Amino acid sequence: MNRIFLPLALVWLIIGATVIAFSQRPWLPRMDVVQPIPFSHRVHAGLNKIPCQYCHEYARRSENAGVPPIERCVGCHGSGILGGIKPVTRPWTDHTQPSFEIRWNRVYVLPDFVKFTHRPHINAGIACQHCHGDVQNMDRVVPVKEINMGFCVDCHTKRHASLDCVSCHH
Amino acid sequence: MPEGMSRRSFIKLAAVATTAAALPGCEPAARKLIPYVVPDENVTPGMPTYYASSCSECGAGCGIIATVREGRATTLAGNPANPISLGAICARGQAAVQGLYNPDRLRDPMRRTQNGRLVQISWDDAEQMLTKRLAAASKAGKDRVALMRAPDGPTFAKITKTFLGAYGSTQDIVYESVSVEAARNAAQTLFGRTDLPVYKLSEAETIISFDSDFLETAISPVEMGRGYAEFRTPKQRRGELSIGHAFYVGPRMNMTAAKCDDWVAVAPGAEAQVAWAVLHELVAQRWVSQNSGVDLDELTTMVSAYDPAAVSQRTGVSADLIRRMAQAFGKSDGAVALAAGDDESLHLAAYILNAVTGNIGRTMNFLAGPTPPPPASLNDLGGALTAMRDGKIDVLVINNVNPVFTMPPTLRAAESLQRVPFVVWMGTVPDETANMASLLLPTDHPLESWRDSAPRPGIRTLGQPVTQRIAESRPAGDLLLAAAAKVSTNLPWKTTADAVKAEWLALGPQNDTDAQTEFWTKVRREGGIYSNPTAAPVKLSTKGVKTPPPGDAASAELTFITFPHIFLYDGRGADKPWLQEIPDPVNQIVWDSWAEINPDTAKKLGIAKDELIELKTEHGVIEVPALVSKYVHPNAIAVPLGQGHQAYGRYANNRGANPWQIVAAGSMRITVAARGTGKSRRLITPLGKSDMMGRSIIEAMSLTDLQKGIVPPTGEQEAPKPWEMYPQYAYNVHKWGMTIDVNACTGCSACVAACYAENNLPVVGKELVDEGRIMSWMRIERFFPDTDENAPNIYVTPMLCQQCNHAPCEPVCPVFAAYHTQEGLNGQVYNRCVGTRYCENNCPYKVRRFNWYEPHWDEPLDLQLNPDVTVRGAGVMEKCTFCIQRIQHAEITARIENRPVRDGEIVTACEGACPTRAISFGDMNDKESAMMKRRDENSLRNYVMLGELNTQPAIVYLRDMYHEKGKA
Repeated sequence: MNRIFLPLALVWLIIGATVIAFSQRPWLPRMDVVQPIPFSHRVHAGLNKIPCQYCHEYARRSENAGVPPIERCVGCHGSGILGGIKPVTRPWTDHTQPSFEIRWNRVYVLPDFVKFTHRPHINAGIACQHCHGDVQNMDRVVPVKEINMGFCVDCHTKRHASLDCVSCHH
Repeated sequence: MPEGMSRRSFIKLAAVATTAAALPGCEPAARKLIPYVVPDENVTPGMPTYYASSCSECGAGCGIIATVREGRATTLAGNPANPISLGAICARGQAAVQGLYNPDRLRDPMRRTQNGRLVQISWDDAEQMLTKRLAAASKAGKDRVALMRAPDGPTFAKITKTFLGAYGSTQDIVYESVSVEAARNAAQTLFGRTDLPVYKLSEAETIISFDSDFLETAISPVEMGRGYAEFRTPKQRRGELSIGHAFYVGPRMNMTAAKCDDWVAVAPGAEAQVAWAVLHELVAQRWVSQNSGVDLDELTTMVSAYDPAAVSQRTGVSADLIRRMAQAFGKSDGAVALAAGDDESLHLAAYILNAVTGNIGRTMNFLAGPTPPPPASLNDLGGALTAMRDGKIDVLVINNVNPVFTMPPTLRAAESLQRVPFVVWMGTVPDETANMASLLLPTDHPLESWRDSAPRPGIRTLGQPVTQRIAESRPAGDLLLAAAAKVSTNLPWKTTADAVKAEWLALGPQNDTDAQTEFWTKVRREGGIYSNPTAAPVKLSTKGVKTPPPGDAASAELTFITFPHIFLYDGRGADKPWLQEIPDPVNQIVWDSWAEINPDTAKKLGIAKDELIELKTEHGVIEVPALVSKYVHPNAIAVPLGQGHQAYGRYANNRGANPWQIVAAGSMRITVAARGTGKSRRLITPLGKSDMMGRSIIEAMSLTDLQKGIVPPTGEQEAPKPWEMYPQYAYNVHKWGMTIDVNACTGCSACVAACYAENNLPVVGKELVDEGRIMSWMRIERFFPDTDENAPNIYVTPMLCQQCNHAPCEPVCPVFAAYHTQEGLNGQVYNRCVGTRYCENNCPYKVRRFNWYEPHWDEPLDLQLNPDVTVRGAGVMEKCTFCIQRIQHAEITARIENRPVRDGEIVTACEGACPTRAISFGDMNDKESAMMKRRDENSLRNYVMLGELNTQPAIVYLRDMYHEKGKA
């Protein structure tokens, strides 16, 4: 009995650990994020050439780039030319959401022990696409690059930016 | 199956494995991004917003700047525009955020049922219940509604008047537990003033404090601390380098006494005799000002019974010392005498001392202008409570005071409240008084509501809400106004916000809307209106002056004395975990009350260390663990106020003893019978040793040495010749450093509280402090001198990571978590740390802290956490970072603006909080920085801690200063 069960339990444990190690790293960018609204960056940033910071207005001033306030959406869509207010108030895929509250799903998540701030990067003239990929060609935003420490340090080395650990880890 | 695995264990194991696999799949909370509908143009998400407001933790009137992150106040700093705080606030002020986010705050209105249980009710029901009772009471007659409150600002006072007026009452009871009635009475007798004077310590050369803990709780700790630091800073006086000379006359050595040059230990009650003896000597030697306007002949007869020799006989204080005090006081260029306590003759002596030496108008001023009304006198208070007991009050509303806890038994507060049919309690954390109330109404914390204060002429502070409500609370003023609106139709305002705005607009320009808007914006931005009031001319009249009975004060009677705790004050601070965990500066005790007892007395009574002493007076009994200390007079046993709560939330409840229970109203001293109980409770302190074991951790030098330019021997062996194995670091841009003036540091621990707030330091609790697990990155290092000869009374200084150039912690880290940054800091990378604790063991300064447990904040205290700083997990080492997040912020801003970082642009949390400006932070590469200049200008006083270890710290301390004993 024992001879069968013990290895079986071990195998089970190993499978579990493997799953932990490779499948669901919460810090990995997620390819499977589906937004409550089929918002298309291709249409906005690509076809209509709206600058990134028109909507993500805090990027040059703050830690966060910021998601656009609904006011910003309504600013164009509410004018009637662009199909009225409907696309904003009616989330298509998730009908449980209240109107005028969009619960976007995060695509990029940094672990708590890293302090990334958009402000210096935007001001140093780094294009958004450098980290986020060609968002203007994406209907649904998916991460193109894994934002890990290697990715950061690579660029920091090339551009002679700070390589002090505490610049980001504090 | 003797040694096998059963089917059951297999399933168990399998279940564990499955759960383990499933766990990381749980979504972190912050996976959603919810945008604003309309953004607030003043708020940039991810960046702090600052609001000026006013501090409500004590009556001093400091201004605060609240740092708000995404709608939540995280830290408080002093408002530089406010002349009282000038950019600093004390530990109590900083801990206000913990009152705001206190997990035990009342969240909904509660009603007490017949059987004494509390049931939650809606706000509508609560208001209805209140107004019904109030209406019935006002119908029954005049003055049947009473309101007891703290000394709030002028607008709230008006609201209470409106409320009481609507219900036909004038019973506005303003209650302050620690009474300054004696000081007021003395000012009334001598000067005909009803207010208290304002002191300017910076103008003085000599200070004599008669048991006034002016650096702790008396007056304003921030303003007085700043003044004291200026007084102590070496400067040229009459062509000679000198520092101020301070004497403290009192039965126990508190933090203030410890920082004074001479602590004159006297039996409780003998201070007044010493004060009058000093006056006697002044008058006898004619060390008086010619134009003080005091009738010297009259004074001579008044002081005749207090010849220093005679007083020396009666009090045991040496006549020589009294003469030295008089000489220092009378012959100095600016002197000030301060007094505290309930002995009016002591206050009289202090005022007369200031008057005869011509210091009124200089170091002590009565200001011209409207002064805040005094709180209810003991007589009025007694009258109000008697009225309650006689059934003359039907409804009693209690706002933000705790009479059941803070009133001595002679006032019979609990009994009085029981006799009132309907007691309404309004406040934040339910306390002992709430336990006796029929209706409990959660009110806004001061940081959530509008308020103002007028602490003294020339200063009016405006308090605006800095954060959204945490609970379903309402402003106390709104509740009163809503109740008043039920019976009165022509109220001037509907809400507190309206009232405050209307009152403030009345202070500004009239008839011009634009100017009014501008004024309103300005006062909200600056946190108030400040002007420089002129000193009111006063004339001293010695008519009706009471001199102390020239009896034998040094009797063998044991006196119990109690005093406001530097952090907990009268008990109101006990619900804030920071204030419980930061050790008190002199005794370094946390989370408990203690009884200071002289070794001689302890021996006589057979009391051992930590033994519970039963202190029995005619009013009650308390049991407090003994702290055997030579820093208390043999005739006194001293217990701080603050602890002994039987309610007031989880942090306060059931700790220590409440000394209010055994004193009589109006006095903090009483004859006591003390005996050991045989039981003991260990007093917990994070402190290692009380003496430096001959090492020079904190150094001091005498004024004489400074004048002569002699650097004193350190007592340490010679530091080894610099012999470097590794190449020197090149600090190309910045090398951050600090200069800390030990002479200016009073030990007030404002920096420690600021560090807790800024850097997300967890509070570990009494048991873990005992195990050495306290997490403070910064602490007040306290030592007593080995000998009494030629040394300060106490050595205190902030101890934090020294950011060594040759850091012992760095090379021992096996994973490079502790490393040297390019700007000279000893970096600590939390995500690399594996918790070997080698660095901690190798640190000679003991400033590294290890997370033995997962840090925990009781909700919603976690809302206070600073999002710029990582919350460290279990198994990780942490330490002072020189507020790297602030350095980063400034460096990024400078880079974006294409300029170098300016000197003074980076202010560390501790530096910003320090009331005495003992700490300066700056760039060591910049020789012109204020921090480096401070080093250069005080080069004789420079030293580094444990310099012989050749760690080359980035912190340079400036030696403490003392007067050689026997020299005035």
